[in-house]
Amino acid sequence: MTLPAFDPTRDLSIGRIIRAPRAAVWAAWTDPASFAQWWLPAPTRCEIVAFDPRPGGALHTRMSEDGGPFVPHMDACFLEVVECERIVFTDTLSAGWRPAAGGFMSAVISFADHPDGTDYRAHVLHKDAPDRQTHIDYGFDDGWGTVIEQLAALVEKRIS
Amino acid sequence: MILSFVAQYQLDGIFQALADPTRRAVIGRLGAGPASVGELAAPFAMALPSFMKHIRALEGAGLIRTRKQGRVRTCALDPAPFAAASDWLADQRTQWTARTDRLACFVLHQQKDPP
Repeated sequence: MTLPAFDPTRDLSIGRIIRAPRAAVWAAWTDPASFAQWWLPAPTRCEIVAFDPRPGGALHTRMSEDGGPFVPHMDACFLEVVECERIVFTDTLSAGWRPAAGGFMSAVISFADHPDGTDYRAHVLHKDAPDRQTHIDYGFDDGWGTVIEQLAALVEKRIS
Repeated sequence: MILSFVAQYQLDGIFQALADPTRRAVIGRLGAGPASVGELAAPFAMALPSFMKHIRALEGAGLIRTRKQGRVRTCALDPAPFAAASDWLADQRTQWTARTDRLACFVLHQQKDPP
């Protein structure tokens, strides 16, 4: 499919030239043991519950803070995996495309050659601004997003 | 990451507290300035104890602050939770930037020090 357009009101795009071959960056992403080493900021520890980089495969992690027990972190699903080119995953689905509660984003991770190494980019698509996202999670009516925007505007006006 | 966890938790509380027409109306009214519980309750056909439950829910979520002076309890909006909602995207950006930095760092380290 065509890659999604960037929507500045609710998307993020993070790019970096990594001074290493594309295959090395790809391996760091798709080898679970490697992935666990950079996905979460130390001292938080990342544990891989399931990692199956192919469409419908699991991207399921848990985390431990301050040496505490491992707790759920992300139960996501790979949507597209093109060797050394692109990874698409979402936390709105869990493994096997099963709809997941509480998910709010899809990420398109791109890998391209660059004279200095690898042009790495993460395009993160959010369901909507967080008010609207939570609104959907709780099954509120359609007017709810507008309501909270109005409230926020009101409060901001009030304190400015 | 941890920040987002807290923010998400806080957001959940905020939206739960606001998932009620009475409480939304109270917030709307307080947008015009602080008001006493009596003033806030006046438009609603409900007993004061029931109305107080709504006030406590809003207070518990940190959306309003209340202060009792003599026999009058005055309520006012607390702007902080609304800021939490608007900071969300900025926080996501911080997380993804840091995550990308860690990936770059990890790969470079691997290049220098093959396993």
